[in-house]
Amino acid sequence: MAELIIETTNLTRNYGDICALKPLDLQVPEGEWLTVMGHSGSGKSTLMNLVGGLDRPSAGSLQVGGKDLLAFTEDGLARFRREFVGIIFQQHHLVPYLTAVENVMLAQYFHSVPDEAEARSSLERVGLGHRLKNRPGELSGGEQQRVCIARAIINSPKLLLGDEPTGNLDQKSTLMVMELLKELRAEEKFTVIMVTHNQEVAAWGDRTIYLNDGMLVREESRLKVAEV
Amino acid sequence: MNRRRWLLHIILRALAHRRGRTILLLAVLAMASSLATALGIVSSSMEKRVAEEVRKYGANLIVLPALARLDVGSGGLNFGVVSEPAYLLQRQVESALEQSGLKAERSFHLTGALHYKDADLMVEGVNFSDIRRLFPWWQLKGNWPTASGEIVVGNDLATQMKLKPGDTMELVGKAQKMRLRVSGTVSSGGEEDGLLFLALPELQQAIGLEGQISLVRLMVTAGGDSLKKSASALQLLLPAAKVSEVRQTARTSEGLLAKVKLLMLMVTAVVLISAGSSVAGTMSTTVLERSKEIGLMKAVGGTRWEVMLIFCGEAAMLGIVGGVAGYIFGVVVAQFITKTVFSASAEFIPWFVFVSLGVSLFLALLGSIGPMISVFKLDPVRSLRGE
Repeated sequence: MAELIIETTNLTRNYGDICALKPLDLQVPEGEWLTVMGHSGSGKSTLMNLVGGLDRPSAGSLQVGGKDLLAFTEDGLARFRREFVGIIFQQHHLVPYLTAVENVMLAQYFHSVPDEAEARSSLERVGLGHRLKNRPGELSGGEQQRVCIARAIINSPKLLLGDEPTGNLDQKSTLMVMELLKELRAEEKFTVIMVTHNQEVAAWGDRTIYLNDGMLVREESRLKVAEV
Repeated sequence: MNRRRWLLHIILRALAHRRGRTILLLAVLAMASSLATALGIVSSSMEKRVAEEVRKYGANLIVLPALARLDVGSGGLNFGVVSEPAYLLQRQVESALEQSGLKAERSFHLTGALHYKDADLMVEGVNFSDIRRLFPWWQLKGNWPTASGEIVVGNDLATQMKLKPGDTMELVGKAQKMRLRVSGTVSSGGEEDGLLFLALPELQQAIGLEGQISLVRLMVTAGGDSLKKSASALQLLLPAAKVSEVRQTARTSEGLLAKVKLLMLMVTAVVLISAGSSVAGTMSTTVLERSKEIGLMKAVGGTRWEVMLIFCGEAAMLGIVGGVAGYIFGVVVAQFITKTVFSASAEFIPWFVFVSLGVSLFLALLGSIGPMISVFKLDPVRSLRGE
């Protein structure tokens, strides 16, 4: 059995009186594609932010890649993110005044040294070799998402997090993005945790967990989700 | 691309992207720094101009020998004070001036009496080139002495004695008799009009006071060390003398300069405070608008310091460009002010570019402190959600 990349015990996140994530025990083996489903406010994004080191739990333990995230300082968490995690956002979050290739280089800058050739090749891998010098405003939603993917994988992360990455895309673009992620995962062997509302997107994963009101209510393997 | 070049690249991109706001901030910074530059240059030019004006009034410090005083009286009667002439050693004064490091124009004088026909004439021994430099307003008829044995006579004395340029006089001193030629008559509008002037060494020899003087006139440049300080320093080195300020002109010019400088400083301070507030307000709005961008930078692995460095870099870039523009504009404004007010050109002071840069950078960074703290504290999750 593969080693665990994520292991949580009683992982909890409260925002004041609101409990966004109730004590959760979760294990994710290295290389797995885990889909997190649930209604709005079910705690999906909270879980993703916690395992990505973007947020801190209120209680419980959280080990990612063998590292105890609770022990990190804020800047320590930032360094963890750039070394270990790639994030794909639903709203792409590209810097508007930088070109596609520069947006990818931004992640390189925070990681180590910006390398334009490497950033170009990353964009070529996601099929955007012809849009290198275009700014986000000149790209379609699907293209922007592919820039976001190129940026997420540029530093060879061990963990790729997708927060509803296809939420703003049409069916064609969704399919294109999912196929791309599948290919990249096969090449890079990273673990994927993807939050989605979409059952079809969930079917691309190895396992799906369902959250409701901050609690893990169900867990299904790939075959079962595919049947749904 | 190395990290520094990349940092510069994204700073320039960010500034170019918000062109309108960048221009507004640059204008504010350039205006504030140009004002500081212009007022600085005007102040410096004014100081020199006033110093030049003060020069026209002549000496502002005088050194006199401390008089030998003797109270005359007997029993309960007091007949007053008898003082006898006292002198200073010229060599001693020269050495004291050298030691004090005082920057001053100087002229040595020796006053004495020479007998002419049936009368004693008041005579002053001077160095004529010093006199011409220190008292440029003296009006001369004839020529200044160029050879030994030549003298200049005060206008009143010349009239009284019916002397004119070209006449010769036979004067008798305690030690020597001299035959002198009048090269010119002079008018200062003061007591000098009743005196006769001859070369200092010649008078020293005639009255047997070689190497001695009775008065030193100094013209210390106003705006340098204050006169009072200069006088005290020199007094310490010359205990046998009395160093005094010729107060009226010097004090007034120094006082006026100080007041004008204070006024300029206050105006500059007010403008700098308003400019600082304006920069702070604009930078705060910019940071607020860019909170998602900041959140993204942190989410992809930028530490708080690394992200803040980008924003500080933007502020510094604005400060540098604003400072250079402010210097150029400030020089033009200073020229305009000095031409209009003083009818003179402002001096070119290249190092004021650093003052302008300093002011602009200080304002840009000071105005950015608040926004930078926000950048530092910003939570990536909340900012990406647009909260």
